[in-house]
Amino acid sequence: MARNHSRFGRSSSRRSELAAALVAVASVALGAATAAPRPQAPAQGPPPDIIIGGMQAPKFAVPDCVPKRPDEASQAACRTITQVLRADLRFENLSFVQDSLMSAIPPLNPQAPKFEDWKGIGANILVVTQAGIEGGELVGDVLVHFVNNGQSMLQRHYSSKPDNPRTIAHAASDDIMTLTQYKGVAKTRIAFVSDRDTTKEKPSKELYIVDYDGFNPRRVTVNGSLNLLPVWRPDGQAIAYVSYRQGSPRLFLAKIFEGQSVANVSGEKGDNQAFSPAFSPDGKSIAFTSNRSGSTDVYVAGADGSSPRRLTTTQANEAAPCFSPTGQEIAFTSDRTGTPQLWLMDADGLNVRRLSVGVGNWNDGCAWNPAKQYSEIAYTARLDAGGFDIAIIDLATRQVRQITQGRGSCEYPSWAPNGRHLVFSCKRNNRWEITIADRDGRSLQTLATGPGSNVQPDWGP
Amino acid sequence: MPSRIARLPLTLLVLAFALTLGSGCPSKRSPALANARPGEGGADTAGDSASRTRTQPVDEGPDVRAIGGDSASGSDIAGGAAFSGEGGPLVDIHFELDSAALSDEARSTLEKHALWLQGQRRASVTIEGHCDERGTVEYNLALGEQRARATRDYLVSLGVGQDRLRVVSFGKERPLATGGDESSYAQNRRAHFAVGR
Repeated sequence: MARNHSRFGRSSSRRSELAAALVAVASVALGAATAAPRPQAPAQGPPPDIIIGGMQAPKFAVPDCVPKRPDEASQAACRTITQVLRADLRFENLSFVQDSLMSAIPPLNPQAPKFEDWKGIGANILVVTQAGIEGGELVGDVLVHFVNNGQSMLQRHYSSKPDNPRTIAHAASDDIMTLTQYKGVAKTRIAFVSDRDTTKEKPSKELYIVDYDGFNPRRVTVNGSLNLLPVWRPDGQAIAYVSYRQGSPRLFLAKIFEGQSVANVSGEKGDNQAFSPAFSPDGKSIAFTSNRSGSTDVYVAGADGSSPRRLTTTQANEAAPCFSPTGQEIAFTSDRTGTPQLWLMDADGLNVRRLSVGVGNWNDGCAWNPAKQYSEIAYTARLDAGGFDIAIIDLATRQVRQITQGRGSCEYPSWAPNGRHLVFSCKRNNRWEITIADRDGRSLQTLATGPGSNVQPDWGP
Repeated sequence: MPSRIARLPLTLLVLAFALTLGSGCPSKRSPALANARPGEGGADTAGDSASRTRTQPVDEGPDVRAIGGDSASGSDIAGGAAFSGEGGPLVDIHFELDSAALSDEARSTLEKHALWLQGQRRASVTIEGHCDERGTVEYNLALGEQRARATRDYLVSLGVGQDRLRVVSFGKERPLATGGDESSYAQNRRAHFAVGR
């Protein structure tokens, strides 16, 4: 595969009329009441929604980075910064002037941009970048101007190791996003599980992390066992996960920058198993699933596993908890009605009520949007008799919208920290791939994280 | 759990089974064991290397590699020996979709397993619950646990000591067949018996 500026492979997710009809028929056949909300089809292309300085969807011009020095290393770093910064800002749904118009502008003088030129092609905001190798490190400068009055909106100086221009571009993108109503995600990383290092002698699944754009995959666990279900601690310094290292599935906590892990965080005994770790938004508590009392139930404990409390008490299976953005509620899966469905409870286990009603005979694996302005939960749903898809339920209206359709099986959604995008895994051509969509189900993109089957993504800070 | 066979005197069954074994197989090993592949990790079968049983958890060495450095290189130490190989003296039992109920066929197989275990007093068994790939990771971990537990409970009802039986769920993480068809799914909805002693 050619390495271009982005590791996303674009693909459409249009569904046919026939598929739509089948979904509708299946919904009815599965006993969905006629008044039940019908999943909405994903639309194409995100509408511009960025506001900067009161301006709706301002048009950006991001001309080529100007090398601070003529050497090839500086020029190469500059090229990468240009590509990565444009890809980052495009991912954030910023609007751009057309490339063909950009090429008509004379070469940029970074110290004195001719704003009239940029105004002439309809640009509202000009992003000027310079970079080069100086004193053994890569340095970069980013200036953001309002084209109309030439006013400087942002000025940043960055430095990094010489071989890491992507870091500078990501940092610049996140800084530019501070001008908008959203927090950027260019510096975020995604944890996931892959069998890429499995061997016949040691059939393993290990944890990996990768930059949000699919670059820079790094292996986290090296124990040759089964390692599953990673979740980032909100501070980004640790990942809780499930490992079979002690024989049974148990909760572990990997301090990823120290190369250490804490085993059996929840203190399971004998052959009891624990899984489904989920941190509270403040990072002080961890919810999880254990079968220590005979049936699979949801528990919550301090983040170090201290003082565990049982929250669900039925003989049915309760699993896969997720916290609300306030930490005051927990959604989870229960099969107490015969099929896996989503339920809500207060974080102390009281006030239990069913969430998923009417759509799908299997609703499982919640991910509560962390942004408070979006009151919604993503989950894995079997909306027709065939495969599993990603769906989102609006908590106010209980309307369900479908994020994936006809992509084989998709599961395990996780939100970007700003709640604007989702990551999940989909099976295509007998291989699981990490996939990203925006919260309206548009712009589905496959993240090329590397070989193997790649599953259970968790989008970290 | 009601059991049809529990009403029969167990000793009689043991005798009958021993006779069957004696007539067809002079070795103490069952035919299934004779088919176990040698060379494939050894500890995966109940053969000569049974001292390395997977029921003995191993927990040594670093578990996690430090991000941003290679200081942990060479630390790729074998983890918990939880992985089963195929083969072994006790054949798998199978389940219906989204169910941990034991079929008549599964009960019949477990009754034979109970007899075998009566004759192998030192053997301990890890019962692994497995699922097909449909449904989420977490749901299948719970379902696999239910399958392993239902299997264990039936063996215990047949007189096998619970202290010899360990349960572990592999959910959908270790499919036997990797295809996406019903035949593969059916093979993967199973309880597998990893025997150590």
